[in-house]
Order: sequence, then C-alpha cells, then structure tokens
Amino acid sequence: MDENTARQNLIDLDGGSRATGIGKFASDAVSVFELNFLPAVKTWYLTFLLASASALPWFYVTRAIAPDDPQAVRRLMAGTLVFGVTFSIGLIVGQNAVAQRFTGSLRLLVSMPMSKGSYVLGSLAYSSISGTITVFVLLGFGLWSGVGIDPAWGLAPSLILAVLTVAGLTMFVVGFAPSLQVGNTAAALLSLILAALSPVYFTMEQAPVALRLLGYISPLRYAADSIEKSLSGRSDVLVELVVLAGFAAATMALGLWRLPWREK
Amino acid sequence: MDGPAVEVVNLTKRYSDGTWANRDISFTVRSGEFLGILGPNGAGKTTLVRQITTELIPTAGSVRVFGIDGASRPNDAKRYMGVMPQEAGTYFGLSVRHHLRIFGKLRGLSGKMASQRADELISELGLEEHRDKPAEKLSGGLRRRLLLGIASVANPPLMILDEPSTGLDPEARHNLWRLLRNAHQLGTTFLLTTHNMSEAEALCDRVGIVQRGSLLALDTVGGLRAAHGYEHKIVIESDGGVETIYGSDDRELVRQAQSRGIRHYTVAQTTLEDVYLGLTREREPTRLQ
Repeated sequence: MDENTARQNLIDLDGGSRATGIGKFASDAVSVFELNFLPAVKTWYLTFLLASASALPWFYVTRAIAPDDPQAVRRLMAGTLVFGVTFSIGLIVGQNAVAQRFTGSLRLLVSMPMSKGSYVLGSLAYSSISGTITVFVLLGFGLWSGVGIDPAWGLAPSLILAVLTVAGLTMFVVGFAPSLQVGNTAAALLSLILAALSPVYFTMEQAPVALRLLGYISPLRYAADSIEKSLSGRSDVLVELVVLAGFAAATMALGLWRLPWREK
Repeated sequence: MDGPAVEVVNLTKRYSDGTWANRDISFTVRSGEFLGILGPNGAGKTTLVRQITTELIPTAGSVRVFGIDGASRPNDAKRYMGVMPQEAGTYFGLSVRHHLRIFGKLRGLSGKMASQRADELISELGLEEHRDKPAEKLSGGLRRRLLLGIASVANPPLMILDEPSTGLDPEARHNLWRLLRNAHQLGTTFLLTTHNMSEAEALCDRVGIVQRGSLLALDTVGGLRAAHGYEHKIVIESDGGVETIYGSDDRELVRQAQSRGIRHYTVAQTTLEDVYLGLTREREPTRLQ
C-alpha cells in the first residue's frame, strides 16, 4: 500500500472532508481547548475563585496603603492586573503542561497529526478564561471603589503580551521538571518570584536600586508601565509594547522548543 | 504490487547517557499484516515503536510509513497510523464519548463525523454503559478499550500498539484480542509489541524477537520453530526439577526416555516460548543424545 492508497482508505470514512493547513491548526487548538475546558465545567467555581482570589486581595490590601493618591492607586491596579493575570494563566498553562506530561495524556496528543503550536494555543485559550475573569473582576472592583479608570487601546495588547511572555517562560522552566511535584511548584513560584522582583506595584523611580536594575530586564515592569498608562487613557505605550513583544517572542520560542513533543 | 506499510532501515537509537536502545534494526511490515515484536522488558521495544510513531528522533536510520519519511514529514506519517502508547493517560474528568469525539477531530474528522464515529466506537467496543463516565473511573480493561478506540477513531490503515494487554486479566485480554482480530480481518495492518508469548501466537502473522536493542529473528511462528531446529520436546519431571529436552522426532524422544527408565514425562510441540528462550538465553538448548 502506498501513500495514495492509504489516503484513499482514510477518505472512505468521511468523503475526504478532513481539515488541513490553517483550518486544521485552528481546529486542533479548539480541540485542545475542549480537552481542558470540558472537565473544568463541573468545577467552574474553582476557576472563578482562582481568578478572583489570586488578584483581589492584593489589590484590596495595596489600595488601603495609598488611598488618596490616584496615580499610586492606578499603579497598584496595574501591578495587580499584571500579577493576577500572569499568575493565574502561568499557573494553569504550567501545571497543565506538567500534569499532561507526567500522567501520559500528552503522549496521546503527540501521537496525533497536529503541531505543538496548536497545543500551546489551545492551552493558552483555556487558561485565558481565568485571566479574563481576573481582568473583569479587578476593573469592576476598581470602578466600584472609585478608582479613576479611562482604558486606552494599549490595555489589551499589554495584557496579552505579558501573558504570552510568562506562559512561554513557564513552559520553558517546567520543561526541565524531573517530576510532577517539582513542575507544579515551579509553575506556581515562577510568576510569584517574577512579580515580587519586578517593580510592578510601584514605578521604577520609587523602586530600590537593586530592583531598579532588575526592572530593566523584567517583562512585567514594562507590562505594568504600559497598563498604568493605558488605564489613565494614555496611548504612548509603543516602546513598552515593542519590548514586551520581544520578550513574548523570545520566551514563547524557548517554551515551544522545550515542550517535549518529538524527543531526541 | 503493494508497498510495505512500514519500512524500517538500519534504525539505531543511542540516548545521551550512552545507552544503545536500538542497534541497526531493519524490517518491513507488509500491508494487511499483523506483525508482533516480542522481547523481554527493557529490550528496546518501546523505543523502537516510539521511533516508528515519530515521537522519538532516531540517532541513525530511517522509518517510512506508506512511503512517507517519518523524520521529515511526521504529521503526514501520523495521519495514517493509530497509536496506542504503553503508558498513555486519559484526560481527568473527561468522559469516554468526549475523548473519542475530540480525538476524532484531532485526527481531522469534522465535528459531525467525529461524533458519529464516537457513537459507533462506543458500541463496537462495548462501552455503552460507560459513555458518559469520566475515563479515570474505568477499569484497566475498559480504559485499554478506550485507548484502542482513540487509536482507531479515524479508521487508520495502520495500528501501532505498544504492549496493549499488559496488566489485563485473562478475560479482558481475550476481549481485546477479539477486537484486534476483527479490525485485522477488515484489512488494518498491525504492529504490536508484547512480552506475552500467547498474545504473539494468537494474533501475529509474523513475529520479531528483540533483545538488547537488536532484532534477533523475524519470521512466522512456524518459521521460527523450524529455525529453532527441533520441532518437539519432552519435559521430564523428577525430584531434581524439570528438564526439557528437544528433538526432531517425538517417537524417538519417548523411546529414549523410556529406555532410561523415565516414566513421568510430557511430549509436546516446540512453542514460540522455546524459540524465544533459546534465542534470548543465548545458550544451546539441551538436545537428545
């Protein structure tokens, strides 16, 4: 049997209507989304709790520290958005990747005729549910508590690029994990450490010297700067977005490279 | 003339720690054939299968699936094979039907076709009572059936199964064999690894024996027995233990045993297990003097 006869055998099943190319890539990403989403439907409240609990208390506490300075409050909100969204998405992407790798379900996907790019896209789409809830909860809470918010166009791309950066970095790091436990811990710690070491809740000028140095190389600081500007209606965020896009491209390339798909 | 379903040429795998998992293995799987790869644990069977399924990149050599080079076109090659990995896990919390439907879509079926195939497979695999059950709630045998369904959801012309019956009780194993035979009768080509002799004898047209990463022999069960050199054996039980003696003529074996005053013995045809043990123990079998 050659390739043509083998293809004919497949076609006999469905009249040759199988998706290929970009259509297949998109369909595969949707399927990966479904694999993650359907089991989580029954426990939807956990997703909501993670999205809210990881961000809201931080904002609530920090809001109490500087209640009379609108700019400081907006910075705290920007920092909380960056931390909340990247933490919840990084955690879900990282823990899913490591769980699927060590429980063997990733091997089923690897045996399918699909690219790892569609796997990553589907996983990101699923984890974005949590990130989106975080954004709406925080913005809603901010508006309710009287924070002056005037969102500009830069808000969404800043968040997306920050998410891609942290997700790529998380996939890269958990790719080295020797066990499920180590991988889960690494996924949880990465965003926490990154946020803790970056000037996200305060500006570079307010940061201690040591953190200021880290701030230059931390993607989260650029995300927080860009989001702070966007929340106050400013559109001069091109530099931050270009830097973030560079970080996102680099970390996603590293994450995809490290994802165990075809092993050497 | 039809080409082979799988063509493995000089396949070699050496891991970064220096371990040779496969050494210079070459064989073909003919279209419509049921080929078994038999070997002890750690012989390199799974490494061999993972290279054929394109999951593992070979150190040297090549694999072609229906003429498609697995190294340069892995996704094209995977379109034509259904794979049942040895240690595959299912998705926690996802039902049997959702598994089959979603993996059908990942194989390129439309949503409607994938749903239809999921329902057909649930019926064919006897999973009707479990269709909405989360996969992790299934018994080992039922989960193997689900994995078989995932591998066969798009009706691939080639199925690759890595130790499919490991850990199954005899009834579940025979149920699985029945399903595999049915698919084989419909024209599916099979490549199966196992360390279970009866599985290889029950299912396979040809059997390859692998040890320490090398393919020691590949032939029909009859051919392997013939190559073994002795068609019969006599098993003698005494206070000193069990002794197996091989010979070509069963009547001669009996005559010689009786002439030695041995009264308790069993005469039988040489089995695949005898061939396997002869090859993998790397020592000459005891023969009749």
